[in-house]
Amino acid sequence: MKRHLKVFILWAIIGTGVSSIAVQLATVREFLSQFHGNEITISLVLFSWLLLTGLGSLIAKVFRRSSVTAFTLLSGLLAFWPLPQLILIRYFRESVFVHGASPGFNQVFFYILATIAPYCLLLGFILPYSLRVLNERGENFTSGGLYVTDSIGDITGGILFSFVLVYSFTAFVTIAVTSGLLILVVLLLFLVFRRFVLFFFALVCTGLFCLFSLNSHFEKLTLSPQYGEILRYVESPYGRIVISKEGTQHTFWESGTPFYSDADIVNSEEKIHYALSQLEEVRSVLLVSGGLGETLLEVSKYAPASVDYVELDPNLTRVAQELGLIAQSPSLSIIHDDGRHYIKTCSKTYDAIVVDLPEPDTFQLNRFFTSEFFSLAKKALQRDGILSFSVDYSPNYLSEIQRSKLSVLYNTAKQHFRNVLILPGEKAYFLCRDGELWTDVPARLALKSVMTSYLEGFYHGNVTQERIEGLQKKLDPKAPANTDFEPKIMSALFQEWFTKHGSSPKVFALVTLGLTILYLIFLRREEYVLFTTGLANMGVEMLIIFTFQVMYGCIYLKLGAIVTAFLMGLLPGAMFGNLFKGRGLIPFIVSEIILFSLLVVFYVWISFSEGDISQYYFLGYGFAFSFFCGYQFPLAVGLIGEKESPAAGCLAADFTGAAVGTLATGAILIPLLGIQMAMIFLILVKISSNIIVLFPRGRTAS
Amino acid sequence: MRMTRKEFLKTVGIGLPALLCAGGGLCFGQSRGEDIRGEIFRKDAPAKPWKWSVEGFYYTSDGKNVQCQVCPNLCLLEPGDRSVCRSKVNIDGKLYSLAYGNPCSVHVDPIEKKPLHHFYPGTSVFSIATTGCNLRCLNCQNWEISQKKPEEVQSSELFPRDVVRESLRRESPSIAFTYSEAITYYEYMVDTARLGREAGLKNVLVSNGYINREPLLELCKVLDGANINLKSFDDRLYRALNGGTLQPVLNTLKILHEQGVWLEITTLVVPTYVEDPEMIKRMCGWILKELGPDYPLHLLRFSPQYRLTRLPPTPVATLEQLREVALGEGLRYVYLGNVPGHQGCHTTCPHCRRLLVERNGYLLKQVHLNKGHCKFCNHVIPGRWSQA
Repeated sequence: MKRHLKVFILWAIIGTGVSSIAVQLATVREFLSQFHGNEITISLVLFSWLLLTGLGSLIAKVFRRSSVTAFTLLSGLLAFWPLPQLILIRYFRESVFVHGASPGFNQVFFYILATIAPYCLLLGFILPYSLRVLNERGENFTSGGLYVTDSIGDITGGILFSFVLVYSFTAFVTIAVTSGLLILVVLLLFLVFRRFVLFFFALVCTGLFCLFSLNSHFEKLTLSPQYGEILRYVESPYGRIVISKEGTQHTFWESGTPFYSDADIVNSEEKIHYALSQLEEVRSVLLVSGGLGETLLEVSKYAPASVDYVELDPNLTRVAQELGLIAQSPSLSIIHDDGRHYIKTCSKTYDAIVVDLPEPDTFQLNRFFTSEFFSLAKKALQRDGILSFSVDYSPNYLSEIQRSKLSVLYNTAKQHFRNVLILPGEKAYFLCRDGELWTDVPARLALKSVMTSYLEGFYHGNVTQERIEGLQKKLDPKAPANTDFEPKIMSALFQEWFTKHGSSPKVFALVTLGLTILYLIFLRREEYVLFTTGLANMGVEMLIIFTFQVMYGCIYLKLGAIVTAFLMGLLPGAMFGNLFKGRGLIPFIVSEIILFSLLVVFYVWISFSEGDISQYYFLGYGFAFSFFCGYQFPLAVGLIGEKESPAAGCLAADFTGAAVGTLATGAILIPLLGIQMAMIFLILVKISSNIIVLFPRGRTAS
Repeated sequence: MRMTRKEFLKTVGIGLPALLCAGGGLCFGQSRGEDIRGEIFRKDAPAKPWKWSVEGFYYTSDGKNVQCQVCPNLCLLEPGDRSVCRSKVNIDGKLYSLAYGNPCSVHVDPIEKKPLHHFYPGTSVFSIATTGCNLRCLNCQNWEISQKKPEEVQSSELFPRDVVRESLRRESPSIAFTYSEAITYYEYMVDTARLGREAGLKNVLVSNGYINREPLLELCKVLDGANINLKSFDDRLYRALNGGTLQPVLNTLKILHEQGVWLEITTLVVPTYVEDPEMIKRMCGWILKELGPDYPLHLLRFSPQYRLTRLPPTPVATLEQLREVALGEGLRYVYLGNVPGHQGCHTTCPHCRRLLVERNGYLLKQVHLNKGHCKFCNHVIPGRWSQA
């Protein structure tokens, strides 16, 4: 029985790792679809996750006794709970917030915290508790061993999610598949330890769990309060696509936001005719996203020889074609690629490039509004070709934030094009060209005999010469340019988001800072080092996620791969660290110096490299960095001593550091100050821990 | 006294969840209110009035506290407090408006943009707004000025006489008080409208209609036309989506009608909220009974705005259905807005059914009216028409 116990518990820890990492990734994706899908949301989910898990570990520290039955019950709960968690996230959103409204920062944070708390507290609790179960029953199992075992599960879960499940399965099925191992271990534990009533209870739960999680109709049903009547639902690797039907109207939603509805004449006419009417002849047009509905019909009025429509997600165009929302034409080519990557690599040149994307409030979108992108677009344009793009704008008053946003974009575009004109329509349309630009669009359309439903009658009432000139006068010529790594637009948009919801992250930031300082006061020296390592590890992970997003776009797809690369480094690192455990302070100091050096390398790499860096380098770097983070953990535990500070204290320091690192870099430094400033922050934090290790004073274990 | 680790853990264990519960409760309470009405801004007033201040026209005072009487919010302000609409403050026991002569939006628009289809069609209107609003609509199109204080925006300086002069200079025969919420700059509006009328200009109010009887009666003396946004016909929806109540708006419509101000009504058809045909039927029944069949009703297509960004635009079929409901109830002029090129934008004669005004956006393609009469059957078409 005793022999069985250790094997079962080790498998339960691995099963927990497999399940938890998949649940974490599925939860991040769920929140991206429920709320504003930007970097702040990602950071808040990861921060809350780590914070609550750390708190769970702390709670475990209080418990002095353990029981196998309690462990098995809790493991069972951990295996089944992810399904109700996702259902609750979807249902509660509709009952807690106003239907159709986007909540503000504070509401999003507390909602995330409340909905994931049961799972994360339990997850944080169960790992140190499992160690206690083993050790109280005479098994000599160390925190380092626990760390390694958990990492094996995490890596397996990460690989499974990133390379298999994300491509073909919905959130519910993903959870069912990855919880399988843990459920099996729980059932076997009940059986082997002769807890037959609990075994049958768990068996019934398993049946219900499979029934609901593998039923696609049920999963669709849980989305209907948010979307109404759902016609199609695709969990694409790039995001969640839902097509709802309101009467005869179709609406396309991507990650919870409607981006296309039938009869969107105003948008179709403005985005196409403002740009194409400027050209003398329209032979080739490139549409970067936004090719559904009337758009292609409007383009066809100029009879171009070729229209290339680039869309990242093939699922989107496939469904649109099935619903007849992409006009068929022999001149049309649909290209499934990242728009920026396509423009960079295509050999063709165009008379017009029309970019139709949502507001650049993520790194993925920001990269279509930067100096680097405009430079690429110019190369893909014919002589005197035109680039057009748009951002949201309030036609009746230009707020300071809007002014800053438009000024930054104008000055950035001006670096590459001789003429830039902003037409204040329903959105602010930017026309960029070396040739002449005309403001009287209806006159240009009349010249070309192009008929329109909206522009002819509304243009002169909405886009008056007075409004065009008024806007131009208000632009700030000193506004900085928007670049890939210094996203000035994003910080303006975040400010706008906070202003719109009347919420400010200041109180939240101050409370977090206060709690962190309070926590740090009680830490041992080695725990502080683990805290900074956790912080740097998650900080670097966030930096790589966002740098990756800048260079390649598709973060929704690659998020799992990056997280897995980091997890993969932890395991061999921890195993390697176990070899040096008990050999004094030197290996620990070496790990500190290596981590610091790696941060400096990353800073130099990002600051001075030209052009895109292969994604494998990022994954390799993530592996290397987390290897040394993992290496450090058993060394710190060895220095403190298992009895003095068992797994819980070190795990809590690591988790809390990771939580603070996620928040500081992902939600504050990267979006507001850019990637380089975030890097400097991490370097400074690591310098502080280097100083503490090299020049020890105060509380220490050795 | 040094805290032990155990004590610290206990403190964190109890304190953090308590803090989270308190914060969560506060945030969720705010986010899912059955009533999202605005709150008074305590101790937020400037120390003294600024250049663009005027003493309020309608308020009561006990020498220390004041109560604004302009709108149904009836803000009771202690010294140093600011009203719900953000424009009124209590400074030393007097109510001041901080929105007088400092418009943040100044434009010349077509009158059809307000929308007003039966009020001197084809003319332009000099349109102004200061900041502020007495409601908190989740889908506000102009939230960047309506949800701001006068001190928070860039403004022009245009005192009432300057507005009139500018309007004349730009050859706009009317002045519109629009964009944000005109009732919040009531004093500025009344003084400007008075001077405008003296100069032969028409005055137009574009508003949510959330105003009390006495100030409205005073305003009606200088008002020629109004477009009132009747946001729904359900008090619960008014509270949940707009932070107001329905009855004061209905009162406003009745008073404008009684006072002979030309009136057009706008309803934004918000999917899943304001799209119930039964509600529209009840609303039109009320309009018919209390105001008669002749005031135009504009049913506008919703598009995601401000905080209400996770709803689809209104299906055109829904608008068409609601238009049929309104016409079926007996309203004679029901228009569709934000649907370019739709037949529901044109005016037809309710008597001979011939097309009277064909619109292409703000442009009038055909007008078959003769001094407010149908050219074909001479039926009187209600409205304010040019006598030319």
